[in-house]
Amino acid sequence: MSTDQIDDILGRLERKTLIRRTVLLITIVVAIVTVYFGAGFLGGRPVPELIRFAQFGFFFNEFGKYARPTFVDLTFYTQENNIGGLAALGALITHPSSILATVVSLRSSLIVSAVIITLTIGIVGTVLGFPLALFFGVMGSERVTPFPFNFLFRGVMSTIRAIPALVWVFIYAALVPLSPLTAMLAVATDTIGNLGRLFTDELEEIQDGPIEAIESTGASRVQVINFGMLSQVSSSFVAWTLYILEINTRIAVSLGVVGAGGLGQYIQQNLNLFNSFRAGAGLVTLLILVLSIELLSSRLRARLRPSEHDSKGIIESIQDLADGRRWLGRGSKGQ
Amino acid sequence: MPRVSVSDVSKVFGPDTVALDSVSLEIESGEFVVVLGPSGAGKSTLLRILNALTDPTTGTVSIGGNPVSESREAVGMVFQMHYLIESMSAYRNALTGALGRTDDIRSVLTLNSRDDKKAALRALRTVGLLKEAEQRASSMSGGQKQRVGIARALVQNPSLLLADEPVSSLDPKAARDVMRYLKQAAEERDLTTIASLHQVNIAREFGERFIGIRDGRVVFDGSREELSMDIVDTLYYGEDNSQSPNRDSQPVPEVSDA
Repeated sequence: MSTDQIDDILGRLERKTLIRRTVLLITIVVAIVTVYFGAGFLGGRPVPELIRFAQFGFFFNEFGKYARPTFVDLTFYTQENNIGGLAALGALITHPSSILATVVSLRSSLIVSAVIITLTIGIVGTVLGFPLALFFGVMGSERVTPFPFNFLFRGVMSTIRAIPALVWVFIYAALVPLSPLTAMLAVATDTIGNLGRLFTDELEEIQDGPIEAIESTGASRVQVINFGMLSQVSSSFVAWTLYILEINTRIAVSLGVVGAGGLGQYIQQNLNLFNSFRAGAGLVTLLILVLSIELLSSRLRARLRPSEHDSKGIIESIQDLADGRRWLGRGSKGQ
Repeated sequence: MPRVSVSDVSKVFGPDTVALDSVSLEIESGEFVVVLGPSGAGKSTLLRILNALTDPTTGTVSIGGNPVSESREAVGMVFQMHYLIESMSAYRNALTGALGRTDDIRSVLTLNSRDDKKAALRALRTVGLLKEAEQRASSMSGGQKQRVGIARALVQNPSLLLADEPVSSLDPKAARDVMRYLKQAAEERDLTTIASLHQVNIAREFGERFIGIRDGRVVFDGSREELSMDIVDTLYYGEDNSQSPNRDSQPVPEVSDA
C-alpha cells in the first residue's frame, strides 16, 4: 500500500471525526438554549431574574426539617400521648393494640392507616383490574382475534390509557364520592389499559411451534389459545402484573395528593400547612413503602425466570425466599 | 386398522415453488416407514399434509377411507423441534395429547379424566420417562424432550404416528435412543409410523420400508435390502452423483457416528 493511500484514508477519517464533534457541540448548545428559554417562558420572566427571586434559604430550611421527621401521627396512641420524633416508632411496637384501632379508623391523618389505605388501593385495584386486563389483552392480540376485530379491544385499552388515573378518579367521583374507593376504581381502570397492552405485546412474541403441536392433537380453538399460547406466556404475565402492582402503589399515592385518601393525602395536607416535620415523616414512610414494594416485586419477578437447566419445586422456592442473599440479588447455593 | 392412502397429491407454495409433485402412496397398517431425502425435498410438507397442518393444492389423503381433516385425532405428530410447552411438566405436556377428546372447560381447569391421566403416565413409561414425569420440560435434555413429544403423540391414542425429522437436532446417541423408543412404542401399540429422517445410517438401522423423495417426487420405494448406496447417492446428489463421497468406496461401508 502506498503512502498516498494511507494519507487519503487518514484524511477522510479525520474529516468524519471533525463532523461528529461539531454535531455533538451543536447538540449541547441547542439543549442549553432550549432549557434556558423554556424555563424563562414557564416562569414568565428571564432566568437570571427567576434565580434572583427564588427562596433558596427557605427551601433548604424546609428540606432540613423533612430530614428530622416526627412520627407523632403514627397511631392514635402516639397522637394522644404526643410521642414525637423517632420515639413514636418504639411506641408503635410497645402498643400494638393501637395499630388495629388506627387501621380500622380509615383516617388519612394517621400514618399507619394512611399506608394501609394506599396499599389496599394499589393491591385491590390491581387484582380487580387483572381479569379485565387479561380479557382485553388476550382479545386484542391478532393471534387470537382476527385483524379488524382485535382493534376493537385495542381501541378500548388505548382510550383507557389516554385518560390518566388522576382524571379517572374524578370521573368515578360521580359514581361514589371522592374517597379511597374511587381511587381503587381508578387504579383498576388504569390497570386494564396498561397491563392489557403489555399482555397483547407479550402475545406477539410467542413461538408458532407449540401452537401447531397443540393444534395437531385435534384441540379446539379455546384449547389452542389456552395451552398453545397462554401457557407460553403465563410466567411473564405474572411478572408484568407484579410490575404494574409496583406502579399502581405509586399511582395510589398520587391519587391521595388530589384528595382520595391515603399516604399522599397525609403528605399533601402537612406540606400545605407547613407542618414540615410531619410532612417529613410522611415522605420517609413513602420512601420505605415504595422501596419495599419494588424490592419485593423485583425479587419475585427474578424468581419467576428460572434458568434453562434449573428446575425448582415450590418448596425449594419458598426455602429460597428465606435466603437473604437472594433478596439482595447476590445469588445463592448452586449458582 | 386403517391404511393410509395418498393419491396424486401436489403442493405448490407461492406462484411456482413446487414442494410436492403428484405423489401417490399406499401404506398398510402397522408399517414402519422412513421417508428419506435431501433438505427441501418435500418430506416435511408430505408429513404436514398427512396431519392436515397443510392442505394439498391438489389430490387427496385418506386414513382408513376417511379424509384426513376429519380424523386428525387419529394422527399423532412428533415435531422436529419437539415443540413442548417449556413451562409445564413432562406429565402435563403428555396430557395435552388428550385435548382432542376433552371439552374446553374441563381441559382449561385441568379436570382430566382418570383414564387420560393414566394414559399420560403409561405413555411416559413407554418412552422411559416415568420417573421424570414431574420435571419441567425446560429442564430436560433435547433427547428427553423429544421422548416427551412422542409420549404426547401416544396419549392421543393415534392409529397413525408421524415424526417429522424427530432426531435431526440431537447427538447420535440421543438420536438412536429416541428412534429406539419410537420404534418400540410403534410395535407395542401396533401403530402405522411414518418418520422423515435425513441421517441415512439411522434410517437404515430402524426403517423397514423406505420412501425416497427428491424435488417433490417419489424416486424410491422399497425395503432395506433394496436401498443400496447407489440409490442413496442418487437421492441426495442427483443422477450426476460425482460429488458423492461414497462414489469410489464400494461396497458400502457401514457408516457409524456413534
